[in-house]
Order: sequence, then structure tokens, then C-alpha cells
Amino acid sequence: MDAFTISVLSNIGLFSFLAISAWVLLICGEISFGQQAYFAIGAYAGGIATAVWQWPFALGVGFGVVLGAVIGGLVAWPTTRLSGMHYAIATLAFAEFVRSCLNVFSYQREVDGYLTGPDGANGFRDIRWAYEAGVEPLGYLGIIAAGLAAVIGLIACMARGRGMAQLRIVGEDPILAGMQGLNVNRIRIAAATLAGGIAALGGALYAHLATYVEPAQFGVMIGVHSLAYGLIGGLGTVFGPILGVLVDIGLLESLRVFSSYRMIVFGGLVALVLILRPRGILDEKTVRRIQAWLRR
Amino acid sequence: MLLDIVQNTLDGLAIGSAYGLLAIGFTLIFGVMRRLNIAFGPSIMVGIFAGAWLHSQWSAGMIPVFLATLAGAVLASAYVERISFAAIRGDAALASMASSFAIWMQLEEAVVHVFPGRTYAFPTLQTIPMLEIGPVFLRPEYLAMFLTAAALILLLQWILTRTRFGLEVRTLADNPEAARVSGVNVAQVAFLTFLLAAVIGGVAGFLIAATDGQITPKIGLWATMKGLIAMVIGGLGSLRGALIGGLVLGVVEAQAQWFLGAAGREIVTYTLLFLALVMLPSGLAGRADAGARTEALRRL
Repeated sequence: MDAFTISVLSNIGLFSFLAISAWVLLICGEISFGQQAYFAIGAYAGGIATAVWQWPFALGVGFGVVLGAVIGGLVAWPTTRLSGMHYAIATLAFAEFVRSCLNVFSYQREVDGYLTGPDGANGFRDIRWAYEAGVEPLGYLGIIAAGLAAVIGLIACMARGRGMAQLRIVGEDPILAGMQGLNVNRIRIAAATLAGGIAALGGALYAHLATYVEPAQFGVMIGVHSLAYGLIGGLGTVFGPILGVLVDIGLLESLRVFSSYRMIVFGGLVALVLILRPRGILDEKTVRRIQAWLRR
Repeated sequence: MLLDIVQNTLDGLAIGSAYGLLAIGFTLIFGVMRRLNIAFGPSIMVGIFAGAWLHSQWSAGMIPVFLATLAGAVLASAYVERISFAAIRGDAALASMASSFAIWMQLEEAVVHVFPGRTYAFPTLQTIPMLEIGPVFLRPEYLAMFLTAAALILLLQWILTRTRFGLEVRTLADNPEAARVSGVNVAQVAFLTFLLAAVIGGVAGFLIAATDGQITPKIGLWATMKGLIAMVIGGLGSLRGALIGGLVLGVVEAQAQWFLGAAGREIVTYTLLFLALVMLPSGLAGRADAGARTEALRRL
């Protein structure tokens, strides 16, 4: 594979984490504009762990994921009882709060004679694990793919067991879910924890690929994009959000024909898809039909 | 110190009145549609750039620029309404929101294509001298902003309470079923409300652009954020709340900017917003949230 294909595929993989993260919350009936906050937390925590504290890569990424998941759960704890719109704005407020805090967050230590660590709005340079360990771009793409496969596998397990069904019933009708004896709030908090962890995993992987992160990268736009991916791709399966990312980054950013009109084409495409299929391309009905067809 | 607080409050109230107008635009749309139009800010941006274009081409005066701003905002809003709201079934609120985001990207990209530079000049009102009331200063463009906003809100109040159209809007916002049964042309009233919101947003956008004197395409995102925040602080679905929310947001921002700087202002604003949502979900002037919750969930 040439370098361009590898970088496009890496981007698709990384955005998929964010899109899946927003999708998990959509499934349980919550609109989040703020998953980029956990992406940022994962990126900074993972980067600090490997670059400043010199932890091993896996441990650093794990630290980012745990931190993202814990903060996701903590934020969800007071916000899940809010109604749809309020929840959406609360997530947006939290994400912008995180971004503006990162703008003043400075934590630099001397590592091998260089000052390393985040420096407020100037960003966080030299997250160099991939260089130091000699991981080629192709190898790193493999790491991203493995992470994505783990997330898809986890969600597949949840779909086999009761987890996904519980999320869906809470999303469809929380009152009915409560009558069935489900603890709606606890399930929502669990979903937000999972979503936070997934986004943080993407963020930690992103930081080590880019080697440089800054607060401005985690603005509102990226959060709304990741929400839109799930809605275009479809709410039926975990491949919906990935399909959304593929359409945006894979098709439009990579095809140079569209490059300067990318947003106009993508915007029109999304609007058209949503008029024809309000629950996305791979919605629940389509997924059931495909499953029935596969079983034959 | 005390004088600073008074001065900041005055400045904040002026900016806040523009935020209030943005929030009122959001609330009108949300009221009749029960759906969120996040392309509201970008539609206003299209209007502002239309005004700036007229100004740079023919060095037009304030009134033609003002009219061009309104016309641009109304046209862009009509496009959003047709594609993202009229064409999508009423029960698919999420789809409408995502679709309005898609149109947002289109509008922003289109404006960037037509205006490739970073910033553009917008005519300002700075010819009038600074007003001095005792020890406090009052920027004339702030005073104009506040008075225009107040006049517009009175006009809106009159439209909503004294005209047949206003009655239909309120019926539709209260109970869409009842409105349909009693012969209100729901689609038409919704469309006209959308345009009314665009006019209000266009005025707010014009006031803000004429105060700053320069504009960038980022103003679309900015207007959407400020309007949404002010609407939610005030209480979802209440016009009075939207205005109060805008004023509160303006004053808080002005104080935080003065005492803590730009970075501090952002942190304080978003912390306050988050806390306001968690502790006071029905907003400063909203109704109890319980009904809104079941309603919102039913529609999602």
C-alpha cells in the first residue's frame, strides 16, 4: 500500500472510534454533541503517559481509555435525567469546557533533556512512541485496525447477550424499559461510560499517530460530524457509523475530484440520504432483512 | 472595581440583547417544529456576507446592507426549511437535525468559495461619538443594539399576541394536533415561522457584524452556539426565557472576560452552562421539564 492509502485508512479508523462512540449513545436515545471531549482526554492522557511518564504504549493507551470511560460515566451521572435537547447541550457544554481547560493546561517535564508535555494553547508536541519503537505507518494501521476490531467485537458480544437489547429498549421507550424492571439511569450511565472509553481509545491512538495534538483540534465541528456519521450510516448496526465515515473521508476526501467542493457534495448527499432514509442507510429494518437473508 | 462591574453589566446587556434575539429565533423554530435547526447561525452568516458583499461592491449605505442581510438570511433559511424540515417526516427529529447540519456545511463551504479571504469589512455605526453617563461609558453601537433588539421584541410580541398568524403559531407550538384539527395550515405556518425566525436572526447578525466591523465565516458556528446556549439557560420553548437567557449569558461573559481574560471567560461560561443544565433543567423561565422529556423521547 502507498503512503496515501495508509493515511486515509488510518483516518477512517480513527474517526470510526468517535462515530461509534456517538452511535452507542444514539442507540440508547441520547444525542451527544460532545464525544470529542473524550477523544481529547484519551489523546492527552495517552500522550502524557507515554511521552512524559515514559510508560509502555499499551499501558498508556489503557490509561487514556480508563480515564475517558470514568469521566464519561461521571459526566453522565448528573446529566442522564435531562431530556434530549438538554442532554445534547450539556454534552456540548462539557466538551467546550474540556477544550477551554486544555487551552490553559500546562504540564511539562524534562525528558531526555527536552521539555515534554502539553503547553496550553500551543499544544502537545513529540508524542514519539511510534518513532522510538520503530513502528511503520502500516504497522500502526494494524494497531488501529486491531483496536477497532476489539470495539466491534465488544459490541457484537453485547448484541449476542442482553446488553445491546437493553440499550435499544431504553432508547426506544424508557418508560417501558422501566416497567420491564430495567434501571434506565444505570443503563444510560453504562452506555456513556462505554462511549467515553471508545472515544478515548480513538484519541489515544490518534495522539500517537499524529505525534502532535492541540486543543483547537477538538472543536464542536468534529463532534457534530461524528454524530452525523451514525445518522447517515444507519442506527441498525455498528457498521452504520463506520459506513458514514467511509462515505465522508474515504469517498470524498480521497477523491480529488471533489476536494474543493467536498462539503457541498457531502452535505447534499447527507441531506438526500436523510430525506429518503430518516434512520440512515443501514437502519434496523435493512439490518433485519440482511440477517434473514444470511440465515437462509 | 464596582464601577468595572457596572460598566461590564451595561456592555453585557447590549451584547446579551443580540444573544437574546438569536435565542428567540431558535425558540420560535423549536416551538413550532419540535426540531432543532442547527443551521440557524450559518443561515444568518449567509445574510451577513450578502450585506458585506453589497457594501464592498457598491459601498452601499447602512439601510441597503441591512436589507441585504435580512434577504440573505431569509433565503438561506427557506432553503434549510425545504431540504431539512419540510422534506423529512415530522417524527424524525434526529434526521432533521443531522440534515440541517449537512446544510450548514454546504452554506459554510459556499460562502468560503465566494469569499476566499479570512475576514471581510462590515459597515459600522462608529460615526456617533461615545456617550458618557457620569463615570460610565456607553458605546453608541451598543445602545443602538439594545434599542433595536427591544423594539424588535415588542414587535414580535405584537405579532404573536395580536394577529391571526401569531395565534396560529402559538396554537401550533402548544398542540400540533389541535392546530391541525382546527384548520391551521400547519406546513405554511411552520414555513412562515421559519422565515420570521430568519428575519430576527438576520437583525441580530447585522447588529453584531455592525458592532465588530469585520466578519469571518466562523460567525455561523458562533451564532448557533450563542443562540443555543442562551435558549437552554432561559428554558426550552419559552420566548421570555430565551431573552433572559441571552441577557444573562451576555453579562456573565462580559464580567468573566474583564476579570479572567478570554480563556477564563470560556471556562466560566461553559461551567455555568453545564451547572445551569444540571441544577435547573427547566431553565430560568421554563416550565417543568417532565412533559418536555416524554415529548422529546416520543419524537426521537
